[in-house]
Amino acid sequence: MANAVVVLDNGAHTAKVGLANQDEPQVVPNCIMKAKSERRRAFVGNQIDECRDTSSLFYILAFQRGYLLNWDTQKTVWDYIFSKEGIGCTLDDRNIVITEPQMNFQSVQEAMLEMLFEEYRVGGMYKTTAADLAAFNYVADSEERTTMQTLNCIIIDVGYSFTHIVPFVLGRRVLEGIRRIDMGGKALTNHLKELISYRQLNVMDESHVVNQIKEDVCFVAEDFKEAMRVHQSEEKRREVALDYVLPDFTTVKRGYVRVPGQPREDEDQQQSVPLCNERFTVPELLFNPSDIGVQQVGIPEAVADCLKACPWEAHRELLLNILIVGGSAQFPGFLPRLKRDLRALVPCDLEVSLICPEDPVRYAWYGGKEVATSPNFDEFVYTREDYEEYGAHGLSQR
Amino acid sequence: MTGRESNRIKDAEKKRVLDVAARQRRARKALEALEQDNFHDDPHADLVMSKKLPKFQDGPNGKEKKTKRKGAEYFRAKYRKNFQQLLEEDKQRPNYESASAPPPQKPLRHFCAVCGNFSLYSCTACGTRYCRVRCLKTHQDTRCLKWTA
Repeated sequence: MANAVVVLDNGAHTAKVGLANQDEPQVVPNCIMKAKSERRRAFVGNQIDECRDTSSLFYILAFQRGYLLNWDTQKTVWDYIFSKEGIGCTLDDRNIVITEPQMNFQSVQEAMLEMLFEEYRVGGMYKTTAADLAAFNYVADSEERTTMQTLNCIIIDVGYSFTHIVPFVLGRRVLEGIRRIDMGGKALTNHLKELISYRQLNVMDESHVVNQIKEDVCFVAEDFKEAMRVHQSEEKRREVALDYVLPDFTTVKRGYVRVPGQPREDEDQQQSVPLCNERFTVPELLFNPSDIGVQQVGIPEAVADCLKACPWEAHRELLLNILIVGGSAQFPGFLPRLKRDLRALVPCDLEVSLICPEDPVRYAWYGGKEVATSPNFDEFVYTREDYEEYGAHGLSQR
Repeated sequence: MTGRESNRIKDAEKKRVLDVAARQRRARKALEALEQDNFHDDPHADLVMSKKLPKFQDGPNGKEKKTKRKGAEYFRAKYRKNFQQLLEEDKQRPNYESASAPPPQKPLRHFCAVCGNFSLYSCTACGTRYCRVRCLKTHQDTRCLKWTA
């Protein structure tokens, strides 16, 4: 085949995109950004790397509450991605593997189809979800002779807008078992922003910087009550508390954790924020959204609840194959905590085994690469002929 | 009565207490804030684009493209439903609503709004949680009833 397939894992925060014959995808911010310092232009996708002062960065996102609703924004970003600046080729007459959120709305699916066929003139498309691609990659990665047809697993996708628990039985998604928790990277960043702004100094405009703080210092406490002893015990407090030096975009380009006793140059003149319990109470929301009043159970209980909707014969294997993907899965301590909580919730004769890939962000993309290079890929594709014959309604599944 | 009345009761009457509805409204607002993309306004909102300057998007053959393709405007006009409308439309099951994780069974944990410690007490005026007198004082000085909506 002359034209390599494009694989696009179109996330709400970052799009993971590349040709199926490449080894690595590019991770492109799926948004348009405006900086206070640069008044002549807006930054699309990775152009933000050219921006020297990213203070008060203003985001224009294509996704709202996890669904693709702002099509003009998405088109701008896609135009950028499928240009010389992006992956270096257009979509004309190429096949594309593209992801959509779980339980995507009918009209959003139609819009995507129309956009790809009419605007970008793709040759054919395979529309799927990130969880499906992750499952496919999981099968491809496993050494045992599991095939997609015999796969029983649970994919936990901790995304930017929300978290999904997706069970697969015999290689198919159990739609009734899918659970959504309205807690993801965005809510965590906004919550941390709120905490720092109230307790230390006002950073309400600094989503970009606070997101970096979150990535740099936050962790999941394995035993939350134990971690909360920071309020009583001086010793525990010393363990957790740290100073985060904020970037000023002249000498400090990116914030960092201050190392006591080894000050960097001019460090005492930089602004910093002390952080303590914020480091673990923020990711804790993934496990207990009710802590800030979201009336939903956390990930461990949601997994247990999702099991109820699956046939009991599959439970043993489902619990043995729990795969965690998505950006927010990268908090240190996430895996042991989830295992511990889950262990307490499911029958004790069933073993619980969790797998978090080395790169949970790109994992689904690698799955897309596997799909696109598999011998029977052509069977999945909704081709241009199909589109011209049946239109946007021809491809309407969840 | 001969002017003998309790000062404590007099003070308590002056104090404004938020009712349940107002407290819920506050809680909802706090949750909505977690969904916000930006807290501040568009920094380029006051810029006036000069029409004379060529825009970088239009290449030399910009016009030709426009006739062939429909452009972002078309899509915005055709697919402009917001999230709420999409939700109401979605009747097929299982759907967005049925996939939502169930409400928690465990008793809620409460945290001090000021320092983040576990909290045993709540502010009598607005119901915000606090853990000790010092935090209550901070709360009353800063947030309590300040943004009563």
